[in-house]
Amino acid sequence: MRADDLIQSGLARGQKALSEYESKKLLGLYGVPVTREKLSQSADEAVSAAGSLGFPVVLKACSPELMHKSERGCIELNLRSEEDVRAAYERIIRSVDLELEGVLVQEMVAGQRELVVGLNRDPQFGPCVMLGIGGMMAEVFQDTVFRMAPFDTIEARDMTEELRFKTILGAFRGQKPVDMEVLCRVLTAVGQFGLELETVSELDINPMIITPEGRPVAVDALVVLKRNSK
Amino acid sequence: MIESIKSSPLYAIANPKSIAIFGASNNATSMGTGLLGSLLALGFQGEIYPVHPKENQVLNLKAYRSIFDLPKVPDLALIVLPTRLVPETMEACGRKGIKHAIVISGGFKEVGTDGVDLEKDLVAVANKYGIRFLGPNCIGVANPRYKLNTTFMVFEGAPGFIGMASQSGSFVTQMFSYLSRHAIGFSTAFSVGNEANIDIVDCMEYLGACPDTRVIALYIEGIRRGRAFVEMARSIVPKKPIVAFYIGGSETGSRAGLSHTGAMAGPDKLYEGIFRQGGIIRARSMMELFDLCRMLGSFPGITGRRVMIQTHSGGPGAEAADACGRAGLELPPLSPETIKKLSPFVPHTGSISNPLDFTFGRNIADYYWGIPKVLLEDKSTDLLLFYFSMSGGTLERTIRQLGVPQDQIPEKIVEMINLQSDSIIRLLETHDKPFVGYTFLSLKDQLVRSLVERGIPIFPGPERAARAIEAAYRHTCLRDKILASASHKEAASR
Repeated sequence: MRADDLIQSGLARGQKALSEYESKKLLGLYGVPVTREKLSQSADEAVSAAGSLGFPVVLKACSPELMHKSERGCIELNLRSEEDVRAAYERIIRSVDLELEGVLVQEMVAGQRELVVGLNRDPQFGPCVMLGIGGMMAEVFQDTVFRMAPFDTIEARDMTEELRFKTILGAFRGQKPVDMEVLCRVLTAVGQFGLELETVSELDINPMIITPEGRPVAVDALVVLKRNSK
Repeated sequence: MIESIKSSPLYAIANPKSIAIFGASNNATSMGTGLLGSLLALGFQGEIYPVHPKENQVLNLKAYRSIFDLPKVPDLALIVLPTRLVPETMEACGRKGIKHAIVISGGFKEVGTDGVDLEKDLVAVANKYGIRFLGPNCIGVANPRYKLNTTFMVFEGAPGFIGMASQSGSFVTQMFSYLSRHAIGFSTAFSVGNEANIDIVDCMEYLGACPDTRVIALYIEGIRRGRAFVEMARSIVPKKPIVAFYIGGSETGSRAGLSHTGAMAGPDKLYEGIFRQGGIIRARSMMELFDLCRMLGSFPGITGRRVMIQTHSGGPGAEAADACGRAGLELPPLSPETIKKLSPFVPHTGSISNPLDFTFGRNIADYYWGIPKVLLEDKSTDLLLFYFSMSGGTLERTIRQLGVPQDQIPEKIVEMINLQSDSIIRLLETHDKPFVGYTFLSLKDQLVRSLVERGIPIFPGPERAARAIEAAYRHTCLRDKILASASHKEAASR
């Protein structure tokens, strides 16, 4: 599926944003590493998806209306068995008062280091890419850096150098240093994404988890669409 | 990026051979008269044609009733008239064939509604005749080497190497005195005003090509041509450092966005990244802007951040070491060879380490030649940070105590100062490493003044020196980043 088709079908349905599932599909087309995941429409489907992905898994309510999921009881983490998955599926369906695109079953990505990568549009500078320290303390640290797109991997590397708490990108508490090449490619890809997809107004990859092996993976993503654009 | 300033629309504005001025009269308190007075005070060498509807003479210059009475087409029109008269004056200039103007008058976009329309009219007239202009709502340009000062303030001091483009006119004119007192100066300074036609990016292009400009200073409240700004900066920085002082303007539109990213994108953070992407060093205040310009104009390509500190007392050495540490600079230990070479110079009361504490030696020449020479020769040193402590008064007393007759003392002082100053200059010439000073003395103190005038950066206190050194190192890193990026691109396209 082409990037444009994904966006156009979202716009045709009058969506303000793409769902997490669609957002990540779009990012995948730009080479951003995302969680392995499947959309399920029933508890049975969720169980079989979990089986093929391998336990533990995460279940998430999936809808373009759900822009900030963590506060609404629609994420179930660290599910280790069929029974866990079934119970979690039911809890999600009961707690979310929205028509869902489905329930997303995804691999549980371990890792204590979280980044946030994003895109916004500035009236003077155009599409700008953000890199920041993510996770629960993101708003406390306020450690974010910006670049105007497009830029190359040398500039992306300089972005990582500009973070105040850049030491977490190195070897950290028994975890390997982040794969800098992949991270830099993600940053340049998000810039390219912003330049090419004018109908996207904003993008969040939050969190982008760094695995203990140093691999960055987009665990959640939100693509916000420009209203009135066709 | 242009090769020569002659290709810039600002060339005729900063180097006009003839100027028509609108708004100067014999009323001493009018702004236009002040401007003409400033032009005359600096001794502008070209022709000046005051245009005034009633006067035959303005400040002893022949005045013209209309632009059409001028014997020739001047290079530049300087317009300081009431707002409503500006578009029609621009129209007349266009019909006369004038191609460049500075509009000092305010009352345009900056005042809102009616002003916005008036500015549109002004731009339309200029476009019709192909006129390029600076302003409106600016104070114009100072190019002191060319004896041009179109500002209300009288130019003070000497021309220097700082090329400035400012979104505040005051930060051009009201800096004349500050820079002069600190023995630095503008090569050319532009006040850009509302940037209706020529903007700060055009000024950067001019200053990038200007041979008298060694470092570019920017005062920024908001960039209009954002993408061009970054590209222009990246094309200049490999050749010339750029330093900017930015005060956050209005919040960007993205603030209202739905994403986390949108919420985090305040203008200050965005500009921080934009500057770094452009290779621009960001200063924290106007005074720091000029500190960094002094440093970067003097030493544009420092190779590293390993600093050797030379003092002759503990406290100033400790403070310098602390300041360097906080600025992210390194203090390398002395090599065994350096320690061996220094031991004849340093008395047992001193300390042979980094910072080097000389205490009190017998031979003053050791402090200004022997010791710094050894320190600069140390391979682990990128630059020397040097403490100046002996005031002119102490020097005078020492000379008197040596039995020099009273009438020969002033001469002897000059001789001593020249000796010290010459040996420091010789150090610089014989070693390819920067020499930076710090002091608590006044910049009027003879030795300090003499060195500053010969291009040695000396800062009030070690903290300002350390920050300037760090900025110079940062410039090197940013420049190298841009160069690496360019060669990467070239390799990829081959």
